[in-house]
Amino acid sequence: MPDKTQAHVNYYGSEPDAEVASRDSKRQPTARANAARELYFEAKSSVSMEFPYWYTRRWEQLEGEIPIIRRAEALKSGFEHLTATIYPGELLAMGKASYLRGSFPMPWLSEAFFMAAEDDLYKEAQESGKLTADTFTTMGKGGGNVTKSAGRVISIAGKFGLRVEEMPVMIEVAKKWKDKSVDDIGHKYEQLVPGYKEKEALMRSVICMFDSGYTLPQGREVMNYYYPLQFGIDGIIRNCEDGIADVAGYPGMDRLYFYKAVILTLEGIKQWIKNYAEEAQLLASIEKDEKQKNEYLELAERLEWLSSKPPRSFHDALQMVWLFHAAVQNEDAISGLSPGRIGQVLYPYWQRDIKNGVLDREKSLELLECMRIKFTEIDCFASMGVVGGVLSGNTFNNLCVGGLLKDGSSAANELEMLILEAGITCDTPQPTLSLLYDEKLPEEFLLKGIECTKIGTGYPAWVNNQVAMEFLLGNYAHEGMNPEEARAWGIGGCLETSPGSWMPLEIDNEIHWIPGGSAPATSVGVHFLNLPKLLEVTLFDGMDMRTGQRIFPPHGYALETYDETWQAFKDYFSRACHVLTLTNNIQHDAWRKISPSLVNSMLKPDCLAKGKDIGQMGCRYNTTFNIESCGTTNLVNSLGSLKMNVYTEKNYTLNQYREAILANFGYQTAQETGSYSLIDQVPTGDYHNWKKIHSQSLGAPKFGNDNPFVDAILKDWEDWFCDMAHNYRSLYDQPMYACQISVSTHGPMGAVTLASPDGRLSGTTFSDGSVSAYPGTDKNGPYALFNSATCWNHAQSQNSQLNIKIHPSVVNGREGSRKFLELIRAYLRKGGFHVQFNIVDSRMLKQAQAEPDKFRSLLVRVAGFTQYWVELGKQIQDEVISRTEYEEL
Amino acid sequence: MEETGCKDCRYYLPVDVFRGMCKLSKDPITPDDPLCAAMEHIPKCKFCAYYTTDKDYLGKCMGSILAYPDMIASKCADFKWDKQN
Repeated sequence: MPDKTQAHVNYYGSEPDAEVASRDSKRQPTARANAARELYFEAKSSVSMEFPYWYTRRWEQLEGEIPIIRRAEALKSGFEHLTATIYPGELLAMGKASYLRGSFPMPWLSEAFFMAAEDDLYKEAQESGKLTADTFTTMGKGGGNVTKSAGRVISIAGKFGLRVEEMPVMIEVAKKWKDKSVDDIGHKYEQLVPGYKEKEALMRSVICMFDSGYTLPQGREVMNYYYPLQFGIDGIIRNCEDGIADVAGYPGMDRLYFYKAVILTLEGIKQWIKNYAEEAQLLASIEKDEKQKNEYLELAERLEWLSSKPPRSFHDALQMVWLFHAAVQNEDAISGLSPGRIGQVLYPYWQRDIKNGVLDREKSLELLECMRIKFTEIDCFASMGVVGGVLSGNTFNNLCVGGLLKDGSSAANELEMLILEAGITCDTPQPTLSLLYDEKLPEEFLLKGIECTKIGTGYPAWVNNQVAMEFLLGNYAHEGMNPEEARAWGIGGCLETSPGSWMPLEIDNEIHWIPGGSAPATSVGVHFLNLPKLLEVTLFDGMDMRTGQRIFPPHGYALETYDETWQAFKDYFSRACHVLTLTNNIQHDAWRKISPSLVNSMLKPDCLAKGKDIGQMGCRYNTTFNIESCGTTNLVNSLGSLKMNVYTEKNYTLNQYREAILANFGYQTAQETGSYSLIDQVPTGDYHNWKKIHSQSLGAPKFGNDNPFVDAILKDWEDWFCDMAHNYRSLYDQPMYACQISVSTHGPMGAVTLASPDGRLSGTTFSDGSVSAYPGTDKNGPYALFNSATCWNHAQSQNSQLNIKIHPSVVNGREGSRKFLELIRAYLRKGGFHVQFNIVDSRMLKQAQAEPDKFRSLLVRVAGFTQYWVELGKQIQDEVISRTEYEEL
Repeated sequence: MEETGCKDCRYYLPVDVFRGMCKLSKDPITPDDPLCAAMEHIPKCKFCAYYTTDKDYLGKCMGSILAYPDMIASKCADFKWDKQN
């Protein structure tokens, strides 16, 4: 008989008796959006060389020019030579490259990972540990990924397709950047950091996942569209011309070059927009269908207008937002470039159009659906370890709704209701949605959010507005942030709390204070640190027993007490943070010197006012480097197991644990079984020798059950980690902060980690997020999980992440919606920062894993992002399947 | 002279590296499908008078600058149709 005091859970995936349950009924998108989405489903990720070719060609011509001008000229050339492609039915045009899911290499950042494995550049990168994460990453095998070369198409990084006729030029262009790219220059100088070899060892062991300076130097931030909306492109150019007149010849001459560089970049963007306008004209000239012809003509007129002037309507403004979003994506390899609170940014345009009768709700919804398709088309070209191991092919364009206005009242509006509706009718991974929960938000709005979450898209994420503001004031007050400004925040990327500012958008002589990002990337620095692996290295006195390589010198502790073990772990963690902070600062310094941001800089307050790009602290807020962790729950559970089994009850010695870890508790490894969740692991012949210690490890107190013994360990860790992160200084000489999101790193980081003292087996995926329970171990229901998760103050960290899986039957109907909202409220009122849900029957996921072709459109929530199931790697698929599934609340 | 196909036509609309559609007929086509009677060449380096071939898929622009035959040159200020093609 099940224990009625506990929620009914599927421990390690046992299956309920009923039939596979579907989610609440879904609505369909408009015919236009549906056609666009069908085209997207058929499209493969595709790479072209147009932009990097012209960028590099122009760069080479300007040897000796002032670096920021050289960069601007190269960007200009890239933009103005991009071939325009417009697909039938598009109301919003333009994209990163000429393919529907187009992207391109940026060898000025890094040129090694996409070379052939036998190439010297690739070998050098392997030796330095830069590409180790690639080896332990599984890419999704379906959807839009080009997993294998076929015919005249070459597969790169298991995801991107490149035409064979562009392969030779890709290699030639890449080689032109050897010893000149951000990666190479940064690497040259990071080796001067004392103890640098330790950094390479950390990368090779995948204790650290990747360097942010040359992989994804921008992103995890909120866009700001104020300047193009208010002034138009020509208006920004005029502002820069005025700036030049003010500063030319005076001290502080860097401002002169910055303004000139912005003008040059905008000239390229203008031509890029005009290319699309010309293409729309061409399509109109050959179109026989009158309706489509008129749409092409309207599009041509709109783009021509926006190539110089500010928007006149909601449709214009939405197109302007999109084109600048795409433009920033083309200046750097970026993930997590979030549009932010655009339902509030665009509301004045929408209100006016509705009032004037030139727009209705039906047309608005169609436009918002088209916007969803455009954001979903974004691809980021990066290495397998980054695009697969971290991003799972996702690009994290987070759109926030809710929160508060400048005056502290609810910011929810009718347009945001439509944005949520479009998320329901046109369920796509991008833009993912986050609802900034505040007690002041109206019930109707919250229930709309519930309606959206219930359909199983994994969005909106529910995020605590007050906790975020407390974090921001704690970290940005010294840069001038006050409570009013803190209200302008948004989520950058999957879950990075990012500062914003209120900007005075003037329409028809009325000022509307709109929120927008006012900081550079809020998540660069030490990315990510593998906590269970660091504990493993601690237990083995500095050795990585998987590779047999020494990572750290011996720590000098006998580990005879729990406190000694805890201290040794903290020492190693601090040591890793120290060297990785210094090497990353050098890489980011190389980035800002070689490849400074211009498009993003011109958009972010107060770069234009200061005459400085974001790398020179032109933004209003610059405390933006962090230390990211992965595997918190497995670390805490492992410490709990050691504390109980070794130090308190003395059931085993530490040496017995070491032997059990090396023997993988008598099981095959995940790499041997090809499965990455604990549920599917296969015992070996000597399993019985380890059965007892494994059983007692699994049976030790686990996080997520409101158990004070293990929750106290979590609190100790959080209080220490969130505080010690401030001891490290960023490139901008600002204190760093803790960031606790796993994204997809819990897959490859689990893959390199031996069995852990909590009973987890070698190579299996860690628990996701930072306060999600390990699959099957949260046995006391969600409210007990909430108590465990909130035993520490979440405002100490940039984020915390809790993902929960709920069977669809639990939240069915209106009663289910009310119950669901109360559940979320309970967590957020306890001080939880973020909670997200997969509303899905696990058996559907197993079916989808077995028959991916039948589930092309199935979306799931991973850790801070929603992705098509078929585009996830097996490490993550197995972990999502194995998550505890609540069948009662 | 490199091989030609629908990818060389100004009415070819690429969807991805495997396929696209004809802007005139809206029919699905691939970049390597044979050109039809309605085709019009799009400016590409391989059709340019200033392009010379070095080896497979690589060449020079104006005798010195790296170039490749399939580069679309619609926005290249120096493009000049090679009358021999």
